[in-house]
Amino acid sequence: MSRYLLKSKLCWRAFRAEDQALKTYYHGQQSLLELDVERAPLLAIDLEMTGLDAQFDQILSIGIVPIEKGRLILSKAEHKLVKIEGSVGQSATIHGILDHHLNSAVSPEEAMTWFLERCQGQMLVAHHSPLDLAFLQKGLSTHFRQRVTLMAIDTLAIEKRRLMRQHEVLKEGALRLGASRARYGLPVYAAHNALIDAIACGELLLAQISAIGQGESVKLTELLA
Amino acid sequence: MDASELQPITDFIQGLVPFDTLSNSTLDRCCKSLSVGYYSKASAFVPLDETDPQLYIVRSGAFEVRNDDGELLDRLGEGDYFGFPSLLSGEKVSNRVRILEDGLVYHLDPDTFDYLRVESRQFDRFFNRAFAKRLRHQARFKAKELTTTSRVSSLMSNNPLIIDINASVSDAAKKMREARVSSVLVIDNHKLCGILTDRDLRNRVLAEGQDGSLPVHQAMTTQPKVLSSNALVFEAMLLMSEHGIHHLPIVDDERAVGVLTSTDILRGQSSQPLLLIGEIERQNSLDSLISVSKQIPLLLQNLISADARAEEIGRVLTSVTDALTRRLIILNQKLLGEAPMAFCWLAFGSQGRQDQAACSDQDNGLLLAHEPDEAASGYFEALTKAVCSGLDKCGYIFCPGDIMAQNPKWRLSLSQWQSRFASWVNTPEPKALMHASIFFDMRSVFGPTSLFDSLQDKVLAETKDNDIFLAGMTNNSLVESPPLGFFKKFVLERDGSEVKGIDLKHKGNALINDIARVYALSAGIKEVNTAKRIRVLMEKDIINRKDALNLADAHEFIAHMRLSNQGYQHTHAMPISNYLQPKHLSSLVRHQLRDAFKVVHDAQSGIKLKFTRSF
Repeated sequence: MSRYLLKSKLCWRAFRAEDQALKTYYHGQQSLLELDVERAPLLAIDLEMTGLDAQFDQILSIGIVPIEKGRLILSKAEHKLVKIEGSVGQSATIHGILDHHLNSAVSPEEAMTWFLERCQGQMLVAHHSPLDLAFLQKGLSTHFRQRVTLMAIDTLAIEKRRLMRQHEVLKEGALRLGASRARYGLPVYAAHNALIDAIACGELLLAQISAIGQGESVKLTELLA
Repeated sequence: MDASELQPITDFIQGLVPFDTLSNSTLDRCCKSLSVGYYSKASAFVPLDETDPQLYIVRSGAFEVRNDDGELLDRLGEGDYFGFPSLLSGEKVSNRVRILEDGLVYHLDPDTFDYLRVESRQFDRFFNRAFAKRLRHQARFKAKELTTTSRVSSLMSNNPLIIDINASVSDAAKKMREARVSSVLVIDNHKLCGILTDRDLRNRVLAEGQDGSLPVHQAMTTQPKVLSSNALVFEAMLLMSEHGIHHLPIVDDERAVGVLTSTDILRGQSSQPLLLIGEIERQNSLDSLISVSKQIPLLLQNLISADARAEEIGRVLTSVTDALTRRLIILNQKLLGEAPMAFCWLAFGSQGRQDQAACSDQDNGLLLAHEPDEAASGYFEALTKAVCSGLDKCGYIFCPGDIMAQNPKWRLSLSQWQSRFASWVNTPEPKALMHASIFFDMRSVFGPTSLFDSLQDKVLAETKDNDIFLAGMTNNSLVESPPLGFFKKFVLERDGSEVKGIDLKHKGNALINDIARVYALSAGIKEVNTAKRIRVLMEKDIINRKDALNLADAHEFIAHMRLSNQGYQHTHAMPISNYLQPKHLSSLVRHQLRDAFKVVHDAQSGIKLKFTRSF
């Protein structure tokens, strides 16, 4: 997407934002657009949800890990469990989070305040970002009582573009996180939770950047398409 | 965040030496402090920032370390480290790390690295040792009492004779006669259910007036005592004497894998070196010497399975060879009569150095007190031919390079030997030197000491401080270099090419032998055994204490690896070789072996600097 178009969108959003934290977020995103992706502060994220529909399902946990100067900083990685209404029900079989785990969980309001604070000045990175962003936008919109739009680098979209450019036939599951990582020789991380998946996604982005750049620097905007 | 949430990363780190020695809480703290980077082949080198030293832990991909001369120092793959020298020394390092395959790398910051060194002595020692390339592992190689610690597997006969429970005793007896053994294992539905021995046939069949159609199960001993193949020989002896039995089926995982008899145990004991040497000295014919020498491979296996020090194994095997040689000389002198003059039987090469191992060939010569006349010539020709062919029949094959006393070229008088050595020393041509390096590891096995001394003293007087000769010898010993170690599943030479395994002899011990020889000749030291040479060099301050200990340790470690590898090859019925396949090595042994090769490489650089600088 063109840098100017993105910039004007962000300008407009900042202007419309009623909350100071939101304003700061949008302004911060604008200045990131100028940077090479190797230098830009990034935040790899992953969510666990009770289902796939942002209208009805709820966020269970959020994992984040910052990427500074091309390195994932594990000491700043965080994982928050989020309180939900009702029970985790059947979804427990996918994410392994059971009701009693949620005893230490924070409320959705706390989670959203915390999350917005953590992404200040950083570009989000997620694998299949539209899904995660939909849940986060809904949460933030409820919290701030106005529409919030987030921006993120999507490692799945990058992978899809790369494969399509190589005229590969996309097989079922070829774009999943594990399959994508395997193409870059990245290790298999067996246990899945939001934190490990966020780390796995961050590592995948580093591998993708080096493959795209071939040693040259890559503009952050090139990845936001 | 709880470190247990980083499980896949924690698991990986915990599997690495020396991180495996850390307590769980320390390990958690360590993993939480890591940062993760990705290095792409396209950017060629890992940017090593001097102001930001890190321990780099390779998670995937492939890297190589080169020094500022561009020489390949190391190849790194999953689980290897780089960057620690500058962390430890605080000095900037001129090494460059090239990226061969894109890879994920974990970084450990200096503060956490220091914390881990404080928390765990093993951790600290590992990196200090890797840095100083020091090796110390003596406790592992302490020799133990043979009979009490050797394993049943080293003495038992493999592929035991087996018969089905429904067979008749006459079938069993026929099978035993064919295989010329005194027992057969009885199997019911693949499981061992009994053993039938000579004694059972006598007591339960013949003495009872039964005929050959009697089924095996009515004559056998049911539910016999058994042991597993890794039980100690000592336990087997106890069990046999307790129950008054002479045959023990050896069973692993319910499968009969062998039989151990009291004769096997006796034979095992008689292959102990002193007994064997005593036996050699009692033999009065070539044939009986040949049959005694059949025990030598068994002796080697026993020594290996008893985990004896490699240096001791070499000395023990060589003393057996020496005894055999002496006995052959004495026996042949009985036939040929008294020698017409004093002479010494010279041992060269591995026998000279006292580090013989499996399948040694002959390297020997004859030193005569003075020039022989025709009759004397004929006498020594007959004697040497008889001794050399005797050795060959006892398992010491003829030297492929024909360095043997039976070759008139190596049957010389004192003055001829002296001028031969003088010509090698004074015109050190590379090819002649390579050949001659065998001769400089020289020992007398038979004959008057004074005669041998007059040769050795003259040789050492020529070599001592002889710069041109020493430079030649040094260059010669630098032709081969130790392998870089193990890179993923492969072994690489220092130039980066791949080989089929690590040649522990030619790329390890032979190089240390060369190094010790150059130093010893330069200082006029009489010792020829490599370990003893190094010790004397240390005592005389020719090599500093630390380097000498490292070299001696590396020598012992590589030799030990070679022997235990040959022991493994022997028990798995593989051809005996000097090649080690790294894939079965533990991470610790891999690191130690790599360190040992680094010691050899550094010592090579040391002699290069010391002896070839002015040329």
